[in-house]
Amino acid sequence: MSEAAIIAVRGVNKEFTGGNRSVTALRDIDLTIDRGEFVSLLGPSGCGKSTLLRILADLTEPTSGTVSLNGKTPRAARTDRDYGMVFQQAGLFEWRTVQRNVELPLQVAGVDKQTRRAKAQEMLELVRLTDFSRHLPWQLSGGMQQRVAIARALSADPEILFMDEPLGALDEMNRERLQGELLRIWSDTRTTVVFVTHSISEAVFLSSRIVVMSARPGRIAASIDVDLPYPRTAATRTTEAFFAKVTEVRTALHGVPAEQEVR
Amino acid sequence: MTVTNTAATAVASEAGPADPATVRRPRRGSAIGKRVWNAAGAGLVVAALAGIWEGYKALGRAFDDVLPGTRIGFPVATDDMSMPHVWSILGALVEPARRSDPTTLGSYLLGETGVTLREAFYGLLAGSSLGLLLAVLFLHLVPLSKGLMPWLVASQTVPLVAIAPMIVIWGGQAGAPPWVAVTGIAAYLAFFPVTINALRGLQSPPKVQLDFMRSVGANRRQVLGWLRVPAALPFVFAGLRLAATASVVGAIVGELSAGTGRGIGRAILTFAYYYSNGPEKLYAAVLVAAAAGIVFVQALALVERLALRHRQTR
Ligand SMILES: Nc1ncnc2c1ncn2[C@@H]1O[C@H](COP(=O)(O)OP(=O)(O)OP(=O)(O)O)[C@@H](O)[C@H]1O
Ligand SMILES: [Mg+2]
Repeated sequence: MSEAAIIAVRGVNKEFTGGNRSVTALRDIDLTIDRGEFVSLLGPSGCGKSTLLRILADLTEPTSGTVSLNGKTPRAARTDRDYGMVFQQAGLFEWRTVQRNVELPLQVAGVDKQTRRAKAQEMLELVRLTDFSRHLPWQLSGGMQQRVAIARALSADPEILFMDEPLGALDEMNRERLQGELLRIWSDTRTTVVFVTHSISEAVFLSSRIVVMSARPGRIAASIDVDLPYPRTAATRTTEAFFAKVTEVRTALHGVPAEQEVR
Repeated sequence: MTVTNTAATAVASEAGPADPATVRRPRRGSAIGKRVWNAAGAGLVVAALAGIWEGYKALGRAFDDVLPGTRIGFPVATDDMSMPHVWSILGALVEPARRSDPTTLGSYLLGETGVTLREAFYGLLAGSSLGLLLAVLFLHLVPLSKGLMPWLVASQTVPLVAIAPMIVIWGGQAGAPPWVAVTGIAAYLAFFPVTINALRGLQSPPKVQLDFMRSVGANRRQVLGWLRVPAALPFVFAGLRLAATASVVGAIVGELSAGTGRGIGRAILTFAYYYSNGPEKLYAAVLVAAAAGIVFVQALALVERLALRHRQTR
């Protein structure tokens, strides 16, 4: 394991057994992610992206294999709040103001009120929602709620940010705007990001590396470095290099099942 | 007016919900307006009921309680003994309750109602505390809830008239004053809806919120206090509303079984016994009991509105 590795997955398998049927969601997953990377997990629906992310986050146990996060077990990393997590639904607590939602991880950590408040303000600045700190979640649009969820995930200063299709429920325009925001936040906070998506262009635009997964059983099919320079802007999306990368990823994504069928 | 309105709407939709000034809770004015309409509606219903009472009575008087041209009698006789006029019922409230005593029937009934409401309130308090405790227990000990729940359901199907005397007798043997037994009966009826609703509320947070709490390393107590309990509040209040009604019923029925000389239940029983002496007194007592029940439940509704004022009105 290299010095820079912050996430190491070794030989992870996951089977779901329900009644008399069992589903192999993940098979023989090996994955190393270095500090500061922005890695996207990309693959068709049902290939196990969420399951892999949940195993990393200790929300699900692997059937076999080991995971190390920041040099610890996922459980220790979770209780130390080494990672923050953003889900597809914002899942804000509807009785808490935006500010108090962002404070929640710090409250769990037992941080005093003063510090909590200051930290939450800082996070709301990061996602540009300072004016809404006293609003309640239902008073915000879906995109704004998702930004609050990002602020909340980052408020305890985690070294890793897990995101499971955080922009999946948004319209195209909001989505592209938030992708830009996300890159800015990533470069501001220098966290390591693991990002689940099934949009090829989203993965190419955001990631420094794309891990392509294939379904049935879920396994890693390819790991593609995205060498487009940061900072990436709206203009990046129209470059030749961007299209070339999208094509490369698409080929990898579609090539895999056929290859496996031959074997 | 129309023009400025359209302009305002256009501006608002352009800024979207992004302008903090435009995103506000529902306007106060409309809320008060709604309140006034509700009160007016309630008044109208009361007036209509009085009208139906008097109309039926007038018809019965005119046709001697028989449908014209037939031999079919009216289901309820309409003479002053069976159906006193609305005004004589109301009038009875301001007249002395007994010949020897200048206290009006109204203030006597209010005093008795106070006794009953206090029993109901303590019963509600004890019953809902027990209900909440059981809900939290059941949440964490699923096998216990599986084993105990059928018994709780069964406990509520036993007729109250069978349970009440038992509680009264036990209370008496334990040396407790009768009102304690009455409170116990009210509590017995109150705990169940609170348990059921609170348990559902505690289980109501969606997976994403539970996953989030786990992702930040929250322990059980924190999940309970910061997620499950606040999420359960609207459910708890729904249960409390049912429990409030039940506890009033429990207190009144309890008074009938207990040897207490006080309470609106007792008063109703007495006036029913001496019905021929003054039928309007019984109706007045029933009227006050009903009004007291409404006030009791409405007071709770007010607490609920205060507690949930920041929630989105669904
Ligand atoms: N709790 C569970 N119980 C049983 N099977 C599950 C469970 N969670 C996931 N699976 C199965 O595991 C496989 C992978 O699911 P997963 O949710 O990880 O896919 P995904 O790649 O995230 O898909 P999507 O893009 O649609 O979100 C699927 O076949 C799914 O049916
Ligand atoms: Mg998924």
